[in-house]
Amino acid sequence: MSINAKTMLQLEHVGFSYSSGIGLFGGTRIPALKDVSFAVREGETLGLIGRNGCGKSTLLRIMTGIFKADTGRVVRNCNRISLLSLGVAFDRLLSGSDNLILSCMLLGASRKEALAMHDDIVAYAELEDFIDQPVKTYSSGMKARLGFAVGMQMQADLILIDEVLGVGDARFRKKATETMRERVKSDQSVLFVSHSMPTVRSLCTRVIWLEQGRIHMEGEVDEVVNAYETFMQDARGVGSGLRAKGRSPSK
Amino acid sequence: MLTIGQRQFWDIVLTKLRLNLRSEVSKTYLGYLWWLLEPALFVAALYVVFGIFLKTRTDNLTVFLAVGMVTFSWFARSVSNGSRSLDTAGSLTNQVAVPKLLFPLVVVSQDFVKQTLVFVALFLFLFFMGFKMTHVWLSLPFLIITQWLLILAVAMVFAAIVPFLPDFRYLVSTGLTILMWGSGIFYSYEDVIIAKHQDLFLLNPMARLIKNYRQVLMDGNWPDWGALGLIALFAMVVIVSMLWVYKKLDTTYARLALQ
Repeated sequence: MSINAKTMLQLEHVGFSYSSGIGLFGGTRIPALKDVSFAVREGETLGLIGRNGCGKSTLLRIMTGIFKADTGRVVRNCNRISLLSLGVAFDRLLSGSDNLILSCMLLGASRKEALAMHDDIVAYAELEDFIDQPVKTYSSGMKARLGFAVGMQMQADLILIDEVLGVGDARFRKKATETMRERVKSDQSVLFVSHSMPTVRSLCTRVIWLEQGRIHMEGEVDEVVNAYETFMQDARGVGSGLRAKGRSPSK
Repeated sequence: MLTIGQRQFWDIVLTKLRLNLRSEVSKTYLGYLWWLLEPALFVAALYVVFGIFLKTRTDNLTVFLAVGMVTFSWFARSVSNGSRSLDTAGSLTNQVAVPKLLFPLVVVSQDFVKQTLVFVALFLFLFFMGFKMTHVWLSLPFLIITQWLLILAVAMVFAAIVPFLPDFRYLVSTGLTILMWGSGIFYSYEDVIIAKHQDLFLLNPMARLIKNYRQVLMDGNWPDWGALGLIALFAMVVIVSMLWVYKKLDTTYARLALQ
């Protein structure tokens, strides 16, 4: 990865917090991200790892513009960013086919383009027999397959993938990983969130480790993943009362 | 771009509207029937109470009730649906960056399409009762558009509040019931309300609209253009202000859906 590669998206000192209460004057602020800065470069597959609740999904939402950062800023040098995540945004009452069209359009396709892609997406998702049924009848695996198929067919400058390779049955998972691998090879810029370290090792060119809303480590895949794996093993050893950044687990 | 462009936005609105309507048709005819049935049942009940038990002496009481009820139930139902629209869209708003206007707009437009069928039924009922179509009916589109703007304006305001204060929707349904009593659906305000309070009564835009619908459909008179214009202007000012609010709070709603 050359340093001179074009930056697709850059985060500068991004901070974000949730409010614990509901309502206009609700509750205390719970920080989710603190002073996060990094860049996604053109053509790279950047891995994002970290424990549950470390702020990964929040970060992806800020990158796509669904959330606005409380502090810092996001510089985007690309036109189309698509977010692929498990909580796929489907209308339960509409058919799979209708949802497919709407999803494509929400990701930036025109209605014509969406219609043109329709059959390919259905075939990829292997949902030919169910595509006219309302999405509320779908299993979570079927929904995830449809979501993944839409996201993969749509041409985007930057794809953000949140944990979706773990979906569907073993066969679909293999196919999805294969597609991902092709995309990665073909100079697609990808930000890839996963808990599966073997997948991160095989797909990513660089890794960022997020811990308690901050970047804990950033760098070469093996270096970061090894450190993370050691950290997680220690964490398992002493329970959950473990701290990040400079402090060693209290053994 | 990340924020969906104008053209793309309207394309999505129309597609979503079409798909929603189509799925409703294929799923259940009762959904549409209910739109006809509710005002019809209300008219029947009100007729029994006012026409038979209380012997109210209003000419053409059933038509009088039907015009009031059909227009009011459109308002009540659409405002109520619209007020929940942004809240129920929570699962979508935290997955895709989309202008939040989409949700109330689609709901209110969907209701509008269904309401046109109810209007057709109302007109058939009027013919059946011996009323004739006159040239003043040409003003009906303006009346209907004015009401649609009013509905959209109110729905946009309520939809913006509910995600912050979920209990507000109970207030909406109570408010709509109270409004029903105050809109002159089953009484003629000229007979019931003392003169000095009539102006106050007509400050309620729904009361004013219902009065104008009756003026056109039953009395064969032109509507009160000044009043219609004022209501439409008021609604548009609210809509434009709310567009600003929606833009301002756009990402806040995505965040609220997760809190």
